[in-house]
Amino acid sequence: MVRIVDNDSDYDEGSSLPMSQQEEWSDVVPIPQDDGKNPVCPISYTDEYREMTDYFRAVMAAGEVSQRAFELSGRVIDANAAHYTAWVYRKKLILDLGLDISEELSWVSEISGRHIKNYQLWHHRGALLALLLDPKSLEHESQDQRVQNPAIRNELQFVGEVIDNDSKNFHAWSHRQLVVRSYGIWDQEMAYVETQINQDVRNNSAWNQRYFVLTANQSADEFVLSEEVADREIGYAVEKIKLAPNNESPWSYVIGLLARHAPAMLYERLLPKINELAADKDYAVAVTSTPFYWSALVDIYEKQAKALSVDERGGVEAFAEEACDSLAEKYDPIRAKYWEYRKQALRTAN
Amino acid sequence: MSHVFSYDFRYDDNECETETSVLQAEVEDSIGDIYLNFVEPGSLAQGGGAIDDSRHKLLRAKHEQFIHDAINGLSSNFAVLDASQPWFSFWCLNSLDILGCDISQQLRERVVDKLSRLQSPSGGFCGGSGQLPHLAGSYAAVMAIVLVGGDAAYKTIDRQGMYSWLMSMKRPDGAFTMHADGEVDVRGVYCAMVVASLLNIMTPELIKGTAEFIARCQTCEGGIGPYPGVEAHGGYTLCGLAALDILGKTDALRLDRLARWMSARQLAFEGGFNGRTNKLVDGCYSYWMGGAFPILQKALKRSRTEGYIYDRAALQRYLLACCQDRRAGGLRDKPGKSPDLYHTMYCLIGLSLSQHYVGVEPSEQVTDITSVYSVPVRMMQWGAMPASLLVLGLRSNVVKPVHPVYSVPYTPLASFVKYFYALPPLADRLL
Repeated sequence: MVRIVDNDSDYDEGSSLPMSQQEEWSDVVPIPQDDGKNPVCPISYTDEYREMTDYFRAVMAAGEVSQRAFELSGRVIDANAAHYTAWVYRKKLILDLGLDISEELSWVSEISGRHIKNYQLWHHRGALLALLLDPKSLEHESQDQRVQNPAIRNELQFVGEVIDNDSKNFHAWSHRQLVVRSYGIWDQEMAYVETQINQDVRNNSAWNQRYFVLTANQSADEFVLSEEVADREIGYAVEKIKLAPNNESPWSYVIGLLARHAPAMLYERLLPKINELAADKDYAVAVTSTPFYWSALVDIYEKQAKALSVDERGGVEAFAEEACDSLAEKYDPIRAKYWEYRKQALRTAN
Repeated sequence: MSHVFSYDFRYDDNECETETSVLQAEVEDSIGDIYLNFVEPGSLAQGGGAIDDSRHKLLRAKHEQFIHDAINGLSSNFAVLDASQPWFSFWCLNSLDILGCDISQQLRERVVDKLSRLQSPSGGFCGGSGQLPHLAGSYAAVMAIVLVGGDAAYKTIDRQGMYSWLMSMKRPDGAFTMHADGEVDVRGVYCAMVVASLLNIMTPELIKGTAEFIARCQTCEGGIGPYPGVEAHGGYTLCGLAALDILGKTDALRLDRLARWMSARQLAFEGGFNGRTNKLVDGCYSYWMGGAFPILQKALKRSRTEGYIYDRAALQRYLLACCQDRRAGGLRDKPGKSPDLYHTMYCLIGLSLSQHYVGVEPSEQVTDITSVYSVPVRMMQWGAMPASLLVLGLRSNVVKPVHPVYSVPYTPLASFVKYFYALPPLADRLL
């Protein structure tokens, strides 16, 4: 679990007094917000927030590099984690004061429970990690060795805890990608993805991560999908479709993957598998009543029609058109306009 | 127009419960209860009935009051938006303008006064006083000034400073950082392209590699994510698609997969959009997703007579029945959530773009993307086509047409563009 702790030891001593009455800050003249006479949408700040940001403006304006400036940045961030300028200044202070990066990562973990959907927190973490552990220093280590590195292990554990609490946290999944990509630890990630898909087969962030790991984030032109891997991925997706056929994620994943990297396999390998499911008495009803099945047929037959000569494609095209009609009229009427468009696109492709 | 409300369109979990399906069922329960109120008495059969759409009413006066209350003061809870101050002006002015409310001269002056204090001496606008300039803040500030209108307001923008600052945010991969030492994503690209195109400061250097960066963010599902590799998301999809439209390069995307993914975001039972596969409906995606359809329509070179490829009436039904806070005013994510300025503006834009057909007919599209002077023509050739207006509920629900790329009404946008394109451009050619 992500720890949620109160600000205890670091900077709370004496904070019951306003900063203006604290000896430590007596040399600083606070700078109030420049708001004019009648500002639009004025915020009724608490006295505490107003005062700390007024002093923080003064500290930044003076370019002060000090422990107290560092502590003040922490208070401002914890009160408003979207205060990007405070994060930038804090990082500069860490570097200029030569502060311990691991301690800073722990501090970020401590406050993260309150600010888990915040852009700046994750960006700060990524920057700290790069400072703590230069990817080049691991060049000669195996993936297994790298995963054992305390900094990497700690980071994966932190992100893992966030995802345990919020399984589709967009920032957390992006951050995992940063860690995996920066340190080249692709192998362990596939196992993690499977754990997440097993917990919720509808977690599309995990399916997206599967594609990210499979292609090792190469561009569409660089990545080559072998027949063996394609068959494995088709098999995997079909198994997950069996659990709950009306689940967009595995359909979207397997069709997206094949359409981009091995279009011929849509018809040759995927179609027989889903036809098999549709004919299996245990799955037939659920499979043939989900729009994703019919939609897959449209995608597959359309691709196949384009691969055939004009004379040969008639039959396949008719299948695709029929599937479009079924979707528009029966299985997916909210998308009737879209399926009309697909049907029309089939005809104009001639 | 009669729409059949039916529980058959609820999400079928195949009796395999997971966190996703449980949350989905809870939302559908609350939305089903609301839609039931609109089912015609007597038509209710087992599992559904005919919805009477004539009763939907946009609560204009309540929303206007909600916005004016915010203009006069926000509670201390809003300190979490203390680094997003230009957005308040944008959300309020745009919502008022779309609703057709009067915006007083005094309010316009207050907005300009506030924003001019947030402009950085080195160019760009800051999220708050004493903060660093920020791309999202700069975008919101410029859009608010568009809405204020008038040469005096326009002149407050330091155009040369903005250009220098934008160039300092540019990265070799074609993207932009949100602020010095900040994060990088497609939001930043969109903000930069909108600001640069509006201020007539697009140069070959500024846009180099940008279209290619966006194309790399298109996922295998078809939508666009914030950064290469990351999951496709409604907000980033509009940002990426709109930025490509500004650049005249929507064909850098695989449009067939994009169309497939976008159409799948509209939810069968709710009528509104979600932002990612297997996520929940949210009123703000009425713009981020619903509003991306006019841009897709143009990219696919479809004409007005063919219509958009999503269900405009279903989206309006969701917005009017489920997203209005009937007591406090303002619009919201979904039933059970509180209204806020962000959702109020994006729900209203979504409403506008689903009522008005706005587009560029295929035969009229400007294909020249090399000249700086083609930019304002491309921007302003979008138009609302009255023959395809579709207003659900009371006729008085109609709001002003909005530009799908720039997300503000046409009149203030046209004046702004006219002013800045009369100034000398920083470059003659874009390529």
